Amino acid sequence: MDLYVAAFGFGLVSMSVIAIAAVGFTMQFGITNMINLAYGEVMISSAYVAYYLNKAGISIWIGMIAGALFGAVFSFLLNRIVYAPFLRKGTSHIGMVIVSLAVSLMIANLLLPIVGYYNVSYQDTTGGLIRAGGIVLTTNQIAIIGIAVVLMLLIHGLLRYTRLGKAMRATAANPTLARNCGIPTQRVVDAVWLITGALCGLAGVVAAMNSDSFAIANGAGFLITALAAAVLGGAGQPYGAMIGAVIIGMVTELSAAAWAPEYKEVVAFGILVAVMVLRPQGLLAKRGALAAAG
Amino acid sequence: MSRFQASRLVSAVGALLLVAACGGTTNTGGGLGSGDLLVGVIAPFTGADAGLGPAYYAACLAAAPSINSNGGIGGRQVKCQQFDTRGEPADAVPAANQMIAANSNLMAVVGCTSDEAATVAPIIDRAHIPMFCMTGQSEFNKTTLKYFHRLVPADVYDAFAMVGSALYGPGHAPYKNAALVFGDDIGSQAFVDPATKSFTGLGGKIVINQPIKLGASSYRTEVAAMLKTNPDVIFTEALGSAGTYLKEVKTQNNGKMIPFIGSSATIDPTWFQQVRDAIGIDDLLKYYAGVDLGYTFSGPAYSEFLTNLNAAASTFADAPKYKQRGSTLHLYDGIIMTALAMVATNSADRTVYNPKIIDIANGTSGATVVNNYKDGVAALRAGKSIRFVGAGGQNNFDQFNNSQSGYILVGYDKDGNEVTAGQLTPDQTSKLIAAGG
Repeated sequence: MDLYVAAFGFGLVSMSVIAIAAVGFTMQFGITNMINLAYGEVMISSAYVAYYLNKAGISIWIGMIAGALFGAVFSFLLNRIVYAPFLRKGTSHIGMVIVSLAVSLMIANLLLPIVGYYNVSYQDTTGGLIRAGGIVLTTNQIAIIGIAVVLMLLIHGLLRYTRLGKAMRATAANPTLARNCGIPTQRVVDAVWLITGALCGLAGVVAAMNSDSFAIANGAGFLITALAAAVLGGAGQPYGAMIGAVIIGMVTELSAAAWAPEYKEVVAFGILVAVMVLRPQGLLAKRGALAAAG
Repeated sequence: MSRFQASRLVSAVGALLLVAACGGTTNTGGGLGSGDLLVGVIAPFTGADAGLGPAYYAACLAAAPSINSNGGIGGRQVKCQQFDTRGEPADAVPAANQMIAANSNLMAVVGCTSDEAATVAPIIDRAHIPMFCMTGQSEFNKTTLKYFHRLVPADVYDAFAMVGSALYGPGHAPYKNAALVFGDDIGSQAFVDPATKSFTGLGGKIVINQPIKLGASSYRTEVAAMLKTNPDVIFTEALGSAGTYLKEVKTQNNGKMIPFIGSSATIDPTWFQQVRDAIGIDDLLKYYAGVDLGYTFSGPAYSEFLTNLNAAASTFADAPKYKQRGSTLHLYDGIIMTALAMVATNSADRTVYNPKIIDIANGTSGATVVNNYKDGVAALRAGKSIRFVGAGGQNNFDQFNNSQSGYILVGYDKDGNEVTAGQLTPDQTSKLIAAGG
């Protein structure tokens, strides 16, 4: 029983990491209609930005902010320089997916000679160990959970109570109508790339901290998990991505405790497939924050 | 000239140009031919086992100048090219097919780890290309593949040596309870059965056998489950994920490591760096024990290897890191032996020089021992038969093209250099093998 309680605690950490990544990914898709398969590589690039700062003696928490800023700028430029020109030329949706896949491969292969193929670790990122009722977490893992909760509340506040959030929702629902209503959709899209890029960068640093040891190859794994949570919750739905993250994070850890750990991801993705069969649109489709008003 | 003759001439010139444009040539008769020769390095360069490919590529980069600066192979220069399998059989098959289809000038293939050997070795064998594979899988113990060569023992012996380290290693009482933490890939899982049989056969207990998914973002629950079984020691080969797993062991065990014994694949600069960064150098030096083949890291062959490896830094900056990586030494030797076999048979026909590789490695009665390509070529030109003893030491191929040698118990120093910690006696080795079946 202790093991399940411990696994539940670990699940809280996993779902927090996944939630930050998945919400950024799904918002990006929900508002810009762009499935950005380079998301995982932006995450790992940001993790390396934090790594080099940390290696230079700077606190990982400052590195995390730097990673978020890097992710924001990188994503913004990626859209402006690569994706937007293709979209202006009327590239099809599947065409844009291929473009983003190509960008993903290019980033990975450009990074490889710079950062190397070997694993690296942040310095002093474990923190003290706290045991409570069978749950065993480090202070830094608790901090990660706290960061995720704060970010989710901020995203909720942004989408529900700010003009920018309302403009994002309007742009997501019908960009043409939003533009005709006077919403500067291009600026909204730019803001979305900056905000989701920051989430992406921050998620990369948090995921790398969570892994203790990471390498360039981890980028693909980060993407798959974020994508799974986003699809499970309903593509384009931030609240759905949060729920998807909870399910995948918890199921992964609890199944590792219950069955053979090498199949923990198989179980999590098995649930994803089952949900997709029963509810292809995802758990929260048409009911999320980015759904059309009314 | 008639129109018919003119068109034939144009066709012939066109065909010649086409052949020339295709690059290398394959000589099917006598003579060493012309044009560059290629060594294909087929291995994981990306993915969870991405640390393996560079070690093999470094071997080729060190071997090529040894050959090229001494006249090449009949004047032909040796080049190295990477072919990425991603450590996945599904990716390895197209990589092997592409390598063979696009390069008629392949003189040898090196790499083919346990991740992909089962799928690519038959393909390479069908193409009649000598290969030196870094796989420990038992299915190759009695292989019928004529072009397959293995310069390292099967994984079962690696597993026995790890058990030997646990039971007879220096500086500790025999460990009684062991946790098996191996990656879920084919190569790593090959250790589980022999390690279990050998350890339990000699009175130990396997308290948990935990295959872990390589490349996972965390192993917290797995580590919690493992710690609940209270092992004295962890046997492991989880390349690419060792840092994450072991750091979590230390974290959940209140900052204290558990002794861990790694396979010979853990004698690797990327593994050292990963684990050192994760758990700290002090714990790595104190709690890690490994096994390796008995290299001396000295002698004329090793000196030339080291010089070339350091020089290869201009092409591949990490090359010098592999100065004590066993597989790098062995593959370097394999490439040199192949080149000498080509010179000995005066043929670039792979079906002709392939059998000669064994003769060069094992030597025949009265053979002159040589330690580098230059001396080998000189001896061959003087009409002598030769035995090549390279950077990895002496080779002894059996009828299945497997070369066997003994193990030593090792650790690391703070700079990542291998340090010999002890040796298994013949009696201990016999017990381990008998118990492991």
